[in-house]
Amino acid sequence: MANIFRSRIRSSLADKNLQSALDANAERRIRVRKEAFATFSNPQALRERAHAVRADVVEHLGYYLEQFITHVQENGMVVHHAVDADQAIKLVQAIALQHGAKLIAKSKTMVSEEIGLNHALEKGGLEVIETDLGEYIVQLRGEPPSHIITPAVHLRRQDVGRLFQEKLGLPYTEDISIMTNAARRTLRQVFLNADIGISGVNFGVAETGTVCVVTNEGNGRMVTTVPPVHIALMGIERLVPTMDDLSLMLTLLPRSATGQKLSVYTSLLNSPRRSGDPDGPQERHIILVDNGRRDVQTSGLSEILYCIRCGACLNACPVFREIGGHAYVNLSGKISPYPGPIGSVVSPALFGQLEYGHLARASSLCGACREACPIDIDLPKLLLRVRTGIQSGQAGSNSKPNAPRALSIGLKIFSLAASSPWRFVIAQRLAGLFGSLATIFSKKDPWLRLPDFSGWGYSKDFPRPAARTFRERYRKHDQPVARPTEQTSLPGMAQAVRSADKGTARDQAPKGIVGFASELKALGGNFISCEPDKVSQCILEILRTRKINQLMAWEASFLPAGLIEQLTAAGILICHPTTETIETTCQVRAGLTGASGGIADTGSLLLLGGPGRPLTASLLPELHIALLWEKDVFENLSQILQREDVKQAPAAVLITGPSRTADIEMALTIGVHGPGELQVICIKNG
Amino acid sequence: MIETVQLFITCIIDTLYPETGEAVVRVLHKAGVEVSFPPGQTCCGQPAFNAGLRQQARKMAIQTIRAFETYPGPVVVPSGSCASMIRHSYSELFAGDPIWLPRAVALAERTYEFSEYLVDVLGITDLEARFDGGITYHSSCHLLRGLGVDRQPRALLAAVRKAEFVELPETGDCCGFGGVFSIEHPEISAAMLDRKIANLEASGASIVVACDAGCVTNINGGLHRKHKPQRAVHIAEILDKP
Repeated sequence: MANIFRSRIRSSLADKNLQSALDANAERRIRVRKEAFATFSNPQALRERAHAVRADVVEHLGYYLEQFITHVQENGMVVHHAVDADQAIKLVQAIALQHGAKLIAKSKTMVSEEIGLNHALEKGGLEVIETDLGEYIVQLRGEPPSHIITPAVHLRRQDVGRLFQEKLGLPYTEDISIMTNAARRTLRQVFLNADIGISGVNFGVAETGTVCVVTNEGNGRMVTTVPPVHIALMGIERLVPTMDDLSLMLTLLPRSATGQKLSVYTSLLNSPRRSGDPDGPQERHIILVDNGRRDVQTSGLSEILYCIRCGACLNACPVFREIGGHAYVNLSGKISPYPGPIGSVVSPALFGQLEYGHLARASSLCGACREACPIDIDLPKLLLRVRTGIQSGQAGSNSKPNAPRALSIGLKIFSLAASSPWRFVIAQRLAGLFGSLATIFSKKDPWLRLPDFSGWGYSKDFPRPAARTFRERYRKHDQPVARPTEQTSLPGMAQAVRSADKGTARDQAPKGIVGFASELKALGGNFISCEPDKVSQCILEILRTRKINQLMAWEASFLPAGLIEQLTAAGILICHPTTETIETTCQVRAGLTGASGGIADTGSLLLLGGPGRPLTASLLPELHIALLWEKDVFENLSQILQREDVKQAPAAVLITGPSRTADIEMALTIGVHGPGELQVICIKNG
Repeated sequence: MIETVQLFITCIIDTLYPETGEAVVRVLHKAGVEVSFPPGQTCCGQPAFNAGLRQQARKMAIQTIRAFETYPGPVVVPSGSCASMIRHSYSELFAGDPIWLPRAVALAERTYEFSEYLVDVLGITDLEARFDGGITYHSSCHLLRGLGVDRQPRALLAAVRKAEFVELPETGDCCGFGGVFSIEHPEISAAMLDRKIANLEASGASIVVACDAGCVTNINGGLHRKHKPQRAVHIAEILDKP
């Protein structure tokens, strides 16, 4: 029974290390989310718009899916449909078999957790390595993630230190940067050797067939760029109609998840490697996973499909804060792939009321989850619906409430009493009589100590019922003034006035280049303003101080005229990396690229892939030097995503600062899989 | 013309805290309105609704609608969660019901939480109350996030003479009550309450004020069990003090 759940709750509460980790998580994540949302003039308007976008998608799922699939296929990616977990696994296995794959590199995908992909692939003899640092840690420990964004949130640095000592042979350390570096080295080989990269999908864009994958460490870029085959696992509901809607979602998702304005790497994948492209996978497969979603779409729980998996509700939830993700178990003790408030609705909805319905009862319905949700999903309402026993694919009226038996009986008696005033008064008198008797026995103590098994008595005393109720006392001295009249309805009450404006950003002067520079610096990147004729000097200066004499670079035609020649003349060895030369070029410590645009609002760079513009040059080296023309700085994300070339490139990426992680004790560590140093040379308009 | 409000005292105050109920009446009188007590009232149905027992919740909600619909004027409820139940959850409970939904909506549209009614409808913040000592305020979940009521009770408390108001750390965090939740998950509820009590102790106040008798019962139950000197009180009891 739910006894396993109860014992998990108890052990979580008794685990001091877990408690301090969860406290730290809640305090930090709630604070940074609030700070990030404070930059909006009207966050509520944004949430309402996001809610409307997601509602539209879920309501017209068939239409948007068809549109998405058409464009994805036009772009040269392969679409597969999986009705359930089993089919999804078989599809991955078939692709792996076809390519004779042995090693699979994965970036975080909750759908893969949902369908139990790793276990199934490993049983089939494949080696599967998780590459998100947190996910890698929990995989080494042989446990599922305890949070959908920060999988190792339940662990302390000492736990990771011991784990790496045991599994990687690293001398025991509590230094997070040393641990991160060790993981970087190990996983770098995994990226290079992997036959297949598997990722999740944050959003699919119906109007363009673009697949958007967001990560901070750079592992998402690695698995979607380096291995010859990329498989993206996508829940069928993870769509947005347009690029403009994507911009809205990307504005909300990182802020809600980690308090960032944008995640470090936002990959926009349109197609596999085309002829002439220096890199990118030969094949991109998208597996559209239903696994119960269409049934949920037609049930009273459809609103849960609006979720964009930011994890804000987990961080805000006081219950999650007490028990942690691993305590959310089904009847058989299996850990729910999705914990917290969202999981307590998603899991019963997708995997069955019988096995998971009890999770929805572990909520005080305080509403902190809804308040934190960037999509304004009414989670308390949905939790309450799960409690009624509602099941997907079934009319609500057939449902049987999942309340414990004793509670049901008690409430049925109470409701019988409370549905008639005279029965209610009798019940109150009985309670009052009991209270009076209890007073006599307890020597006038106005408090009752109920037994532990009552639930209430576990940690609290109960006030004894009054000998004379309010209504009795009230009648004595104050007769009702009420005069029965016709039913009337007064004018509506004062409702909070909701502004109709879009609320994207505070009204302010354009940030321009100055804003870009300050955002970039805040992220840990460096901004250098440079005259057009001083670019090579500037680059040479950066390389010289770091004793670097090799550069992997974009081809000359995509860089300022004469630059490559000047650098070569100064003794710098230039290579233009391709997938074929990756084994050798990945040793080069610095990469030089252009940038198709900058975003002043977030300090981000837009890099487009395609012929002459290897994406790996901004990904593999430890130092990334990007050249940005001052005229190419846009104000916001929305303007950038509207550009035609973003839709035309095989793949594009938004880079927002150096690669980073906070997966161990939320300590910010710079430079995981992507470059730890980002130098943006901004070329003044000539 | 003097307005008459229909008082929905709530089952908890009716049965457990008649003195609080009387304080509510006195404060309303002080605010210049007549108070009427429709006798058919029992419970809004929230306990059954929260437990998932919609059928039972409907019975109680229908009883509540019937009890009030023949009495005109604003319905005042000294509990954030009961007011939120009527205002927001009745439409969920009676969704698609052509008979009861409009009647539920009509009740919802004239239902106000006590502090909300005083401040937003009557425009009163100063009730010339006096309280000697340190007080703090717990923002009850359904009041704060369900009804969006927070500045109203704070304005009322700010006007209390001699009271030294201090802010309660993490005031909007749930106290762990949650109705049936506190019975079904006593361990989690206890941990949440421990946090609330620790915050109360950190605030230095001896009294924590709330606008929901559910929170008051929960917080006091824990304080008493732990032999702590602080107490939770309903806002009406503070506003009632001359």
